Amino acid sequence: MTTHDSETGRPDEGRDGATYVCDDCGRAFHTAELRVLHRGVRHPDALDAAERDAYRGVYADEEAAIRSFRIRALGVLVVLYFGLLFLYVIYAS
Amino acid sequence: MRRDPAGWSARAIGVVAAVAGLAVGVGLLARGVAASNAAVGLSDAAGDALAVPRWLYVATGGAAIGASALLAGFVTDRRFVAAIHEWRYDLGGDRFRRGAGVGGGVVGAALLALVIYRGVVGPQVPTVNFAVIVVFAGGRAGLTVATYAVGNVWPAVNPLRALERLPGVVAYPDRLGRWPALAGILLLVWVETTTPVTRQPEVLAAAVAGYVAVAVSGSAVVGGDAWVRNADPIATALRFYGRVAPLAWDGGRLRASVPGMRLVPTVAPDGSVVDREGTGEPGRDGRAVSGLDDVAIAVALVWELTFSGFVTTEQGAAAIRAVAGAGVPPLAVYATLLVGGFAGFYVAFLGAARVATRRIATTRSPRTLAVAFAPSLLIIAAGYHLAHYAAFFVSLSPSLVTALSAPLSAPANPVVLTLPAWVSALNIAFVLGGHLVAIWVAHSTAYQLFPSRLQAIRSQYPFVFVMIGYTAASLWLISLPTASPAFLG
Repeated sequence: MTTHDSETGRPDEGRDGATYVCDDCGRAFHTAELRVLHRGVRHPDALDAAERDAYRGVYADEEAAIRSFRIRALGVLVVLYFGLLFLYVIYAS
Repeated sequence: MRRDPAGWSARAIGVVAAVAGLAVGVGLLARGVAASNAAVGLSDAAGDALAVPRWLYVATGGAAIGASALLAGFVTDRRFVAAIHEWRYDLGGDRFRRGAGVGGGVVGAALLALVIYRGVVGPQVPTVNFAVIVVFAGGRAGLTVATYAVGNVWPAVNPLRALERLPGVVAYPDRLGRWPALAGILLLVWVETTTPVTRQPEVLAAAVAGYVAVAVSGSAVVGGDAWVRNADPIATALRFYGRVAPLAWDGGRLRASVPGMRLVPTVAPDGSVVDREGTGEPGRDGRAVSGLDDVAIAVALVWELTFSGFVTTEQGAAAIRAVAGAGVPPLAVYATLLVGGFAGFYVAFLGAARVATRRIATTRSPRTLAVAFAPSLLIIAAGYHLAHYAAFFVSLSPSLVTALSAPLSAPANPVVLTLPAWVSALNIAFVLGGHLVAIWVAHSTAYQLFPSRLQAIRSQYPFVFVMIGYTAASLWLISLPTASPAFLG
């Protein structure tokens, strides 16, 4: 099955411009934050104190971005709900 | 894995809202629509008028998918997401399997012989002939449903399983991948649609005999194991469907999982996509989808149901008549539609993978994303299949039981159940339900692939749009009145 298994997630996959490399597994990332998150998620036991603090910081920043996503998503859901409600009022019989 | 502080409340809200949304959506859509399936020789479905305009019904289905994707985005707790798809329950050991394997092979081989024999000598009436009932109500509908709802039993009941021991004279060329199986699946669908296999038992017997001849010669050339793994269309389709099922053999033990959750690929600590969970069968590839050929097969399983749904509707038959009226041979029209539509679905899916990699700052290739997200299509295919064949199977199940209990005599008085109208509403629930589980599988997959939760959310959007397209097409098709395919009936 060589052709089948020759894909997915080689560390050198599509590396152009990705300069932040994980020391443990060699996977490359486009930003330092992504590398910090990757190390926190995939190598939690290999983090030193500074890295752990960095991970907490990036995680908290992302939490704020996710809260903004949730508010926007809620807005879209409300629009969808009332949009369909009115469409049904007008067109369904 | 880190604990998500805000995960619990958002998760609870998300789950409650998703369930409520689904209930409301299905309730709104539950107006009479008729299912359609390829074996029109056996079905007599009729369509009721929709009280909701069709475009609104389709739009609501699409909106339900989009909304559920947004709601899934609310769940950002990695541990919770992983807990669902990693849950397993050990059910037992290997002894049962060996016993069942020998018996299953004998039963399968006996059924195969009976199908060919009764197809030739039995009454040439589809509704009473053993061959037609067993192949379409039993195999195409019942066995396939059992495969994704319970577990893949085809390796045990495969009538040709003795061939798997054949050594073969040449090694299977690896560069062919599983493309031969894809071609075989499309060919079988074309044969099912365009030849009278569902109406004339003799033709069906010839087709089954042809399949056996091809399988025997293929196994003799490349070896039985390689043939079943890469080229046998039935074994491949059922293996893919079986991946959806809650039960599977894993390392010699029968294990239960949440249905559909074995589709989520496992990711190694270095972030590469692997699959630790084997199928428990030596020489088999453990991953549900492991290359673009497998992506194509997953897409084909979704497309073939859409296609056979389309050609058996009044609108589809009228469209084919219109094209053929311009001088194109009807069989070529069917083949072009089958292959062209498949190519459209496939390109749309690969395009989604490309768009997804462009939208987020990732080093993963579009190919990796396509391969990782393709398994979620299998559960969509299972939902479509259930919508197309569940009512068909239930209404013909008395005939199937009669045929199986007395294979050598045609039933004097075949029983076909007439189902109440609300059954057609279930079809909408099956299509939407399959898509909703697929959304969750895609969500879990994204959390496996990406370190950033925002990346995981945003990577799914293109795939969700493609899924909305597939749903819209399928919901539209099951709402159309059924007819005999043009030029074939």
